[in-house]
Amino acid sequence: MENTLTSSAQPLIYTSKGNVPIDSVKLEVVWDVQDGYIKFTERYRDANGEVVKESAHVFDRKGSFAAGIAGSFA
Amino acid sequence: MANTQAMCSSFKGELLVGKHQFGAVTLVSRTSLTAPTTDSFKAALYLVSATINSTTTAYSATGEVSGTNYAAGGVAITNATAPSVSGTTAIWTPSASFVWATVTLATAFDACLVYNDTQGDASVSVHTFGSTTITAGTFTLTMPTNDATNALVRIA
Repeated sequence: MENTLTSSAQPLIYTSKGNVPIDSVKLEVVWDVQDGYIKFTERYRDANGEVVKESAHVFDRKGSFAAGIAGSFA
Repeated sequence: MANTQAMCSSFKGELLVGKHQFGAVTLVSRTSLTAPTTDSFKAALYLVSATINSTTTAYSATGEVSGTNYAAGGVAITNATAPSVSGTTAIWTPSASFVWATVTLATAFDACLVYNDTQGDASVSVHTFGSTTITAGTFTLTMPTNDATNALVRIA
């Protein structure tokens, strides 16, 4: 007898309101591109527009800098 | 009040007295500690309302973010790449991203302080990235390219 696994359940996503069906939230993404960094924000809102999950990922393009200076006897 | 990206002035002075140990080194003429171990460094996040900048001398919990799954003091920095010299510039960059997973940080933050956890939490540098909040999510700070133009810490 053939044993076939089928499921109609939606994948769940972890939010501030617990695990909810992925279809119940809406994803919006924001890119913030600056000279010093690039920030990617992924934000999920529920049916009421409330943010229930938000992550951010920053790429620090440039670190900090110091110049070494040798003094002069002049 | 605001946070400002900078290399901390105290750090520059402390380099001259050998306070920070980013990599292993074999010293020649010291009477002790001829092969000191590498220090441990950490990264902490600060609120938009905080004031950390070049005058910051050490880690402080004042103005640090708080929230679900965020541990005061921040995260340990993975330091598997020793400092090096590229051309005429000394460079150092952590070998992995700073990651705060499954956190909720509801109050806006915009800065990260890198500090020496081994040497009395002495500050190294401040890095800013714009106002950010996290809800049941992950905050990742990915390191720049470790070269003379972009490395996290550069001394030319």
